[in-house]
Amino acid sequence: MSKRQLAMVMDLNKCIGCQTCTVACKTQWTNRNGREYMYWNNVETYPGTGYPKNWMELGGGFDAAGDLQAGVIPNLEADYGVPWDYNYDALQGGASFEPNVEPTWGPNWDEDEGAGMFPQDNYFFYLPRICNHCTNPGCLSACPRDAIFKREQDGVVLVDLDRCQGYRYCIAGCPYKKIYFNPKISKSEKCILCFPRVEQGLPPACAQQCVGRIRFVGFLDDEESQVYKLVHKYKVALGLRTDYGTQPNVYYVPPTESPVKFDADGKIIPDSGRLPIEELEKLFGPEVHGAIKTLKAEMKKRKETGESELMDILIAYQHSDMFRLDNNYYQQVARDNGHHPLAPVDTRYVAGKHTKTTHEIKFFHGGHGHAAAGGHH
Amino acid sequence: MKKLVNSLLAAGAIATAVSAGSAITAVKVNGNIDKVSYDSAVWKQAKMTTVTLYPQTTIEFNDKKANELNADAKAITAQIGAIYNGKQIAFIMKWADGTKNVTYANTTDTYADGFAIQFASDAKNPKELPYIGMGSDGRPVVIHLQKEVYGSYEPNGNGDVAHQVNPNQTHLFGKDLEAYNIHVRSLGSNDYEKTFVAEGFRSTTEIKDGSSKGYLRFGYANKGWSGTLSRPLKDAYVNLDAAAIPVAFAIWDGAKMNRNGLKYLTGWTAVKLEGKKGGNDLVEALHAPVKGDVAKGKEVAANNCSACHQLEKTDAPNLMGPSLTNIGGYASVDYLRESIVNPSAVVVPGYNRNAHSAYEWYTLDNGKRTSTMPEFSWLEQADMENLIAYLKTLKAEVK
Repeated sequence: MSKRQLAMVMDLNKCIGCQTCTVACKTQWTNRNGREYMYWNNVETYPGTGYPKNWMELGGGFDAAGDLQAGVIPNLEADYGVPWDYNYDALQGGASFEPNVEPTWGPNWDEDEGAGMFPQDNYFFYLPRICNHCTNPGCLSACPRDAIFKREQDGVVLVDLDRCQGYRYCIAGCPYKKIYFNPKISKSEKCILCFPRVEQGLPPACAQQCVGRIRFVGFLDDEESQVYKLVHKYKVALGLRTDYGTQPNVYYVPPTESPVKFDADGKIIPDSGRLPIEELEKLFGPEVHGAIKTLKAEMKKRKETGESELMDILIAYQHSDMFRLDNNYYQQVARDNGHHPLAPVDTRYVAGKHTKTTHEIKFFHGGHGHAAAGGHH
Repeated sequence: MKKLVNSLLAAGAIATAVSAGSAITAVKVNGNIDKVSYDSAVWKQAKMTTVTLYPQTTIEFNDKKANELNADAKAITAQIGAIYNGKQIAFIMKWADGTKNVTYANTTDTYADGFAIQFASDAKNPKELPYIGMGSDGRPVVIHLQKEVYGSYEPNGNGDVAHQVNPNQTHLFGKDLEAYNIHVRSLGSNDYEKTFVAEGFRSTTEIKDGSSKGYLRFGYANKGWSGTLSRPLKDAYVNLDAAAIPVAFAIWDGAKMNRNGLKYLTGWTAVKLEGKKGGNDLVEALHAPVKGDVAKGKEVAANNCSACHQLEKTDAPNLMGPSLTNIGGYASVDYLRESIVNPSAVVVPGYNRNAHSAYEWYTLDNGKRTSTMPEFSWLEQADMENLIAYLKTLKAEVK
């Protein structure tokens, strides 16, 4: 177990499904090098098939006895969707604008469909998902190579690409299917919680770019952080599908607000809501009742008295309050361990016990003479 | 090819009768063999031996589909030949495979066919060889691996990630874009060939600095694979310049979603370098017929082993210890004896300790593993021999 845990809270009442987080992540990390099909961050419509398709039914995670459960590795075409592009190049020659593959499936294929009947009781909400950087990761437990590790300093779960041999048991083992196989490098890759940004005091790109300001980032043991307050003080932020037993560290403020329903004659049913509590209970566990109660009570208090710390937090006035990353902390960790302050790849495995000379890891070399990554300078 | 299949079948039947398999003879040849391939004429001089490879079932992995595909896995056979000169040694493996499974770097859930050949760093004591599954603490092995994977890129290798961006995100069009795509393709590797050194599966480290040089070739024809390895007799990791050396062979079948431990493997097999004197102790240790009363041994196993180990396929799986359903196929008599008497001498890699946390196979103290299994050194000599004879019968039938 890591010494500290960096966590994220997402307020689902405020997510508008604009996919700005998705784009921020994609342009930062996954638009190249075999990652084209991956969405380390995705926003899916709930209820819906999700991404990858029906991920909740693909196994992984732990049972009540703590035994890792078998899972299924999704198929690129059928479950993730082949990332298609267009024939821009051929347009020069007068060709018509066509996708380069026939799209049959993709993320958000069923966007905004939701469930229920329009206009009586149809409903949906958006569920943004990244890697949960679990305290008890299914991916890590499934890896027979010890290629996945959880960082001591912040609990970020990473794949050591030098160790990974592309067996993909991690994908079967992750109940959230948030680890992906990169076929081009024949290794698994996943959300890295933007740790190179985090170590510089910047929040992950998805959180920074979120236009609805739904994402809070901070250490769970930092009582001053809003993450701490939402998760531990007010207990309104809950893990997703904690029944999988991986102890996820991305927390969600459940959606509490929804329009009223209409009856068969199109009349408003007073005091009705469209979000079935059973669905929320399935996602966030029985604690969701308490969380909704607290949220409603604080909303009321704010309306009546103008005061509510919880509502002030959820309004998300300042990025500087929402993100508490404590840049000096990372600098201190690096100094204590004698590392380069920004080492993009954990160096534990770089010098194999038996290899005679260390091969240098060059991860972010762009030919511009940047300092090489790695801890042995 | 028909002839080959027939001879494979015939030889397979013999292998089940002589349960310890037979040694392979490496024929001494003249001339350079540092880059032989499966179609090299030099193989006409080799003596082919039929070897049985058993499904590795020590632990069950967590891939639902793969587990279904392999639930009823049978043993397979391969024809293996070896040649050597003063400096190099080369191996050829041939086996039947109805499907050619290749991956082209565009799928997430398919696996390639492949093979590997494993050598022990230290084989001076034939009774204490490294663990068959990639060595064990203090007993390193070197593995040469070849898989039929095309178009893969090394993420940390030459550092050129700038040239792998999506072509539509470059500023290029027309001929420039074509040239760019050709350049990117040239950066990929169509030869998934790796050498590893390991002291137990988890410690497996790829040798990337060129300090161990293997040359592997792999070809599919007439519903069968042929794979070859040429390598120096000596390098920094192993010295194969001996009268007899222990070698192990593994095959991955992509059609059965085989990868890593999910594979077929032989036990340590003695390879006699023709013309060199000695080596009989190794051949004896690995291939002598096993003596003992199997029925009595089964009783010993039922009383002493079955609480923690799955013994036969019909027994319920048991997470408390390695499954022994194919142990007779890939474990030597000495390995079995050592593991019964001193379970901590070799601790099987097992599951990630977090995957089945209630079942501790070993305790860890400063990186040293101590097996949870009690020592059975108190067993009567006869019970021990009977038990080993029984364990040697635990293996899948040949397909």
